[in-house]
Amino acid sequence: MDEQASFNTPRLAVAIGRLELKNPVMTASGTFGYGEEYAPFIDLNRLGAVVVKGLSLERRAGNPPPRIMETPAGMLNAVGLQNIGVRAFIAEKLPFLRQYDVPVIANIFGETVDEYRHVAQILNGAAGIHGIEINISCPNVKKGGIAFGACPEAAAEVIRNVRSETDLPLIVKLTPNVTDIREVAQAAEAGGADALSLINTLTGMSVDIELRRPHLANITGGLSGPAIRPIALRMVWQVVQAVKIPVIGIGGIVTASDALEFLIVGARAIEIGTANFIRPAATMEILDGIKEYLICHRIGNIAELIGSLVTNPDTENEGEIG
Amino acid sequence: MYEKHAMMTGEIIENRRVAPDHFEMTIRLPRSFPSPSPGQFVMIRRVQPEEPLLARPLSVFGFQRHKDNTNLQLLYRVIGRGTKSLSCSKPGDELSVLGPLGRGFTIPIGIKQVIFIAGGVGVAPLAFLLHSGLLSSGTGQEIQKNFYLGAQRAELLAGLDRLEGFCELGICTDDGSRGYHGPVTGLFESGTKLLKHNIGGYDPEETMVYACGPTAMIRAMGHLLNENPIRCQVSLEERMACGLGACLGCAVAVRGESGKREYRRVCKDGPVFDLREIVFASPTGK
Repeated sequence: MDEQASFNTPRLAVAIGRLELKNPVMTASGTFGYGEEYAPFIDLNRLGAVVVKGLSLERRAGNPPPRIMETPAGMLNAVGLQNIGVRAFIAEKLPFLRQYDVPVIANIFGETVDEYRHVAQILNGAAGIHGIEINISCPNVKKGGIAFGACPEAAAEVIRNVRSETDLPLIVKLTPNVTDIREVAQAAEAGGADALSLINTLTGMSVDIELRRPHLANITGGLSGPAIRPIALRMVWQVVQAVKIPVIGIGGIVTASDALEFLIVGARAIEIGTANFIRPAATMEILDGIKEYLICHRIGNIAELIGSLVTNPDTENEGEIG
Repeated sequence: MYEKHAMMTGEIIENRRVAPDHFEMTIRLPRSFPSPSPGQFVMIRRVQPEEPLLARPLSVFGFQRHKDNTNLQLLYRVIGRGTKSLSCSKPGDELSVLGPLGRGFTIPIGIKQVIFIAGGVGVAPLAFLLHSGLLSSGTGQEIQKNFYLGAQRAELLAGLDRLEGFCELGICTDDGSRGYHGPVTGLFESGTKLLKHNIGGYDPEETMVYACGPTAMIRAMGHLLNENPIRCQVSLEERMACGLGACLGCAVAVRGESGKREYRRVCKDGPVFDLREIVFASPTGK
């Protein structure tokens, strides 16, 4: 009977280092505002964690419009990290999130190593912050961001500096716009990251053929949505095998089955991004779907599913069809 | 608390072509769908197909509350994949409707004269405003309504049936095939036989202009009212992903408090803005 009961109410809790989540469904930075925008549609208490819009030391105006363009099975964005600045976030936005029983992860960004460190220092003292996601992977700003994420040494330096300012769990968000994501992943691990999240957007472009102008004022933008999911899944699978710290899967997850793919290849949790724009309650639908899958497959604890990928022992190299 | 909006599934009752590339759609929604105010918009997406991925923002053209349900009307022009997909929808098809969203038009106390300036499908939110209680209730004072409507050519003058008989109407076309030959801002500036007033004939204290149309029209309004103190609210259009203020995709440049250029969200801070707040990019895009 006890066994039966556990199959009907599977255990969904996962640990991202010292960060305990009641389930693996998180929101991706930049797609969920500061939480308020989605409160009319979902119970924020049911989320594994909320990752807020990227924060810099001072407010940033962001890029000129047009900033987004829909592309096949996805969208390009070049928002340029528009945000109100870390202090205004703590004063004006964090009190709202503090009302909820949900871990809040602050995504941080800097143009310099010092800026990253300074933002982390300010967040370290803020009540209601449970972790920091370090964005070293934004493709849409001129300075910082991806410059740190594309170079293993620079990535490690940012993380060491942030680590020196805070004991909060550190998640490092990686860019796919590199030759081998495992190198930066390992550097981030060595630099003191508690977990990795991947992937950020892939740099892309789209042109209006009548005007012969780029659709985005920034010319290039970051591609997200289902179009990037197979790439994201492959990279998560590669990184899971290359590091010991937990990996959070991100990239085009719009349904529960998409999320399950990431968990099966070894992601400890997942972040939902573009799907929030399409269906404001996407996170809840995905969470319910994961639970239903576990019940259907008589899996009592989600830990049994994570990393349970079955591979053909004859196939050693990824990408080979046979 | 939260602004009243909801995401609901609606059924298309009618999707009628009213002009080349122009469609008028009526969607039946549950009774609990919140009433939109003029200038607000909805995010519309077909329920079944995977593509296009994102919903499309469309201004509310009409709304009726019935005993068991509500009817939402939209007027749209086919310009891309999203609107093309909508135009192929048939009565009985289901649409997901998120809304009503954004900040609509306001009418300050003491306004006795209202001027509408519409270009193309920009007529949609203004026609909804024209028929709303917003302009009839309040002070009890009769409000004079003058409507200036422009389109590229006569057959593209959509929404006319909603205007005739409800306001003083001035019509213009870019090619001169009907009414004044020239842009709607030109018609507003010079006046017509029907609308004796031109821009100089209105009392700024008692007049409010409501405008919606292509970027070039909004820009021309900016120039026109540069020297004239008449107040003007404009409804803006921009590509958007969520409609809720989260994606920051629909940025519009405004003059910030310190005089510096800042971006506001068309979906949340708008879509209706004070014309004088807006910073126009130069036509070269620089």
